[in-house]
Amino acid sequence: MTDETEAAVELEGLTKDFATGLRGVRLRAVDHLSLRIGGGEVFGLLGPNGSGKSTTIKVILGLLAPTAGACRVFGVPSDRVESRVAVGYLPEAPNFYRFLSGRELVAFYGRICGLSGAKLVARVAEVIAWVGLTEAAERRVGTYSKGMLQRIGLAQALVHDPRLVILDEPTAGVDPIGTAAITTLIRGLKAQGKTVLITSHLLAQIEEVCDRVAILDRGRLLVSGTVAELTAPSGGGPDRLSAAEREELNHWLAARGKSPTALSAQSTRLDQIFIEHVARNRPKEREESA
Amino acid sequence: MGRTGLIAAVTLREALRQKLVGLLVLVAAGLVVGVRGLRDFNFGAPELKFIADFGDGAIAGFGAVLAIVLTAQLFFSEIENRTALTLLAKPVWRTEFLLGKFIGVAVVLVTFCGTLIATLAVVLGQREAGLRLEQPEAFAIGGAVNYGALVVAAWLHALKLMLLAAGTLLVASFAQTQIYAVMMGFAGFVICHLQGFAHGAYERSGASVMLMPAKLIHWVFPDFQRFAVEAGGDGSAVALGRLTIYAAGYTAVALGLAVYVFRRREV
Repeated sequence: MTDETEAAVELEGLTKDFATGLRGVRLRAVDHLSLRIGGGEVFGLLGPNGSGKSTTIKVILGLLAPTAGACRVFGVPSDRVESRVAVGYLPEAPNFYRFLSGRELVAFYGRICGLSGAKLVARVAEVIAWVGLTEAAERRVGTYSKGMLQRIGLAQALVHDPRLVILDEPTAGVDPIGTAAITTLIRGLKAQGKTVLITSHLLAQIEEVCDRVAILDRGRLLVSGTVAELTAPSGGGPDRLSAAEREELNHWLAARGKSPTALSAQSTRLDQIFIEHVARNRPKEREESA
Repeated sequence: MGRTGLIAAVTLREALRQKLVGLLVLVAAGLVVGVRGLRDFNFGAPELKFIADFGDGAIAGFGAVLAIVLTAQLFFSEIENRTALTLLAKPVWRTEFLLGKFIGVAVVLVTFCGTLIATLAVVLGQREAGLRLEQPEAFAIGGAVNYGALVVAAWLHALKLMLLAAGTLLVASFAQTQIYAVMMGFAGFVICHLQGFAHGAYERSGASVMLMPAKLIHWVFPDFQRFAVEAGGDGSAVALGRLTIYAAGYTAVALGLAVYVFRRREV
């Protein structure tokens, strides 16, 4: 069982600079980012292209060393190999060894993660069935469609039963049917108590599956919170009226043949929140476009 | 099988699917088998020696191309196809990744040398049998093929090619493009072959200005002339052991540096 009080990922003042030229010019991809992703939650990392999402994920996976700050996965610094023992990762637009069959591919990654024997065989069959690829399991990965590649990618990410699953743009380039299937799989992961860190441009999907989200732009954290908090009505709805006023309003509506729900507050959609925060972070560009 | 072994196995499987490997093996084997058709170009050397030298040259030449191009290709296919990203996101050390790549290539190179030397032995054996019937007097004073030396040659070729693969992997660990790694690999191959001559020549001339850089290159780059069968001493176990240690030492240094550089590389 996942301990919900334990942090799956902790970022403290994470900063990552890249050298962009011989003159020592540096590009700051992530700027003093602090985040805590609790165990068992589905966390959405949002941001426009180049906002630092993928860099942040690479640091969490130990693929990049931070310039400053700290990153821990289940309490283990992310630069240590042990930090990845309980982590499954599906990269954006995944590419795998095309000459292996789906089953061989998942078994390969299972062995890499220390599985062997009957346990490996059973687990491989289980995850392949879970992502719905049993019938295509003996086919070479090179013949898979984009949606199938995403699903076999999900299978390899889950084969060692990780506690944290990182999905980088899992629905990029996938058709609506494939997207719906992947959304269902993410819900399944949540039901299994896994911590899921997901990045996506499909904000409706994020809104649907995530418990909490954070919006990044230019490497900086703009806002974070639960989806309910961020999309809550900004005021003015009937909830702000006293009981007596609400009663009076309901009578007024009933006299005109209207239901009281007609005045329910309109919640803000996540994509509106996203655009507002990113636009607010870019005043100069806003002025220029105006 | 450990993680290094698993990566080596998948690398080997990928290598065997490369058209380049099949092409080089076929062309080199074709040259070894067809060498009898070229015996008019023997420059006066005895026929069996010509066949042996030509086959040896084919293995050295095509083996070098195979070692350099295959190593660069297998390394960059992981980086460019981003399969390295998925693999290194698992609990895999970068040392294991690089060693796995190297071992996979090394198995191909050892198999290449073994197969071609075996082919050469068959060709030499057939021709030797024919010559014994045609000119029995020529064998009365020796001249028979030394098949033991062929086994030694296979091992020396394999050592040299593995060293070349390790050097190419070192360049690939920091190179941004495959073509750069291949070009540097070939440059290294030429330097390693010629540095012994250059060092000897400067030492004999006593020109101290050039002797220091020549000495430095002599220490930094392995001397590939040492792996020629004639230079391999008497073919005794001691001489072979020394050469094996020499090659293993340089290979270990090249791989160690490759790991050091690759650990800092963004994947």
